[in-house]
Amino acid sequence: MGQFSILMARTFKKPEKMKIFYRQLMFEIDSLGIGSLGIIAIISFFMGAVITIQTASNIDSALIPAYTVGFTVRQSMILEFAPTIIALILAGKVGSNIASEIGTMRVSEQIDALEIMGINSASYLILPKITAAMLINPFLVIISMFIGMAGGYLVSWGTGMIPTSEYIYGLEYDFKVFSVYYAVIKTIFFAFIITAVPSYYGYFTKGGSLAVGAASTKAVVASSIIILIINYILTQLLLV
Amino acid sequence: MIKIENVSKAFNGEQILSDINVTYEKGKTNLIIGASGSGKSVLTKCTVGLIKPDSGKVFFDDREFTSLNTQERQEVRTEIGMLFQGNALFDSLTIEQNVMFPLQMHSSMNAEEMKERVDFCLKRVQLEGVNHKYPAEISGGMQKRVALARAIAMKPKYLFCDEPNSGLDPQTSIVIDQLISEITKENDMTTIIVTHDMNSVMEIGEKVIFIHKGKKWWEGDSETILTTDNQELSDFVFASSVMKRLARSSK
Repeated sequence: MGQFSILMARTFKKPEKMKIFYRQLMFEIDSLGIGSLGIIAIISFFMGAVITIQTASNIDSALIPAYTVGFTVRQSMILEFAPTIIALILAGKVGSNIASEIGTMRVSEQIDALEIMGINSASYLILPKITAAMLINPFLVIISMFIGMAGGYLVSWGTGMIPTSEYIYGLEYDFKVFSVYYAVIKTIFFAFIITAVPSYYGYFTKGGSLAVGAASTKAVVASSIIILIINYILTQLLLV
Repeated sequence: MIKIENVSKAFNGEQILSDINVTYEKGKTNLIIGASGSGKSVLTKCTVGLIKPDSGKVFFDDREFTSLNTQERQEVRTEIGMLFQGNALFDSLTIEQNVMFPLQMHSSMNAEEMKERVDFCLKRVQLEGVNHKYPAEISGGMQKRVALARAIAMKPKYLFCDEPNSGLDPQTSIVIDQLISEITKENDMTTIIVTHDMNSVMEIGEKVIFIHKGKKWWEGDSETILTTDNQELSDFVFASSVMKRLARSSK
């Protein structure tokens, strides 16, 4: 924890050249954010579709209105699936990528080369990644919410399990904007974990290619567990 | 000039460097030689601050590097060029971007001036027409020359080379040695080369320091090394039959 704090203190120093930082930031937004759009779209679509089928097929009682399906899909996607499941997916995809990239730079002395050039390697390498994820991930999660709900709509329309008008009504029913704020707040915390934890494991890699692989695995496991713990704490703080 | 005073370093209770005192002279190629595991790379990393020594001081001219804060160290480091054993080129950048990198980070040059400097450095290490290639697309010898071009891009006062010939064929090794030697003279730099290549010692060793079991065992030059009566150094120098023949012919 102490070593992590020291690394973060070095990371959050003012970048040496803002122009270079901006260039790195744009690259990371493209790499970490836009590059993850495809997998997020696929996962979100099927999450929405599956929640729709499961909810519709489990409603036996005539007392429960059909629009409950749309309502359930919306609430599940906004409150939990989009922010948390997408964060866990990104912890695997982006986290392993960051840990192995920085770990390889460590074992091939590229980080030493940066230090010798008088560059704060932590700030140069890690700050753009953390900033990019914290900026772009909320948009990814909002896109995920929409795609998930669209997935549910297509299933409703395709299977006829519930009328699409009922599904739409359920999506709109008792909507509270705070749910989206809650999801975005969680996403910003998760974005930090997804990038900072793997950066830490990569930065302190010792050894060769085996150590890089081990760092990548540890980073994914650690960031996934931390996401789940923080998810619980934030839910307790924000919703209860 | 770089002066090292009483530097010691241990890892996990094992003494790697013991009370090292060395002065690297300006305008000369200072070679650190020794067997693998003798502590020569650790000594270099202690000198440039990549490893913190347990005790002792390092002076870059009149500045005591070991007592500087992070900001002051970074300023001194802008005067240091380093050629790493594995080159440490940035995979995601082209050759031109690699050499331009320290200029972009520290100089106030405009794009045109930086391009001119990059072209000059690449030409100086006899590399032209590779500006837009990536490190993975060129040979090991060429990568070494790119790393040297990057190391000299900022016109450093101090040049460190960690085993510059490792993994290179004998002909390319000679080219790299000659380049380092010429660049040292041209820019009046303090150059420190870590090596266990006796060809380099004989070719460019103006000052030679022999490290053995973490201690400075011997200090001299490429001429006196052949007539040394120091047993450990003699064992190291004359390990190869070529060196034995050279010694016999010189006698």
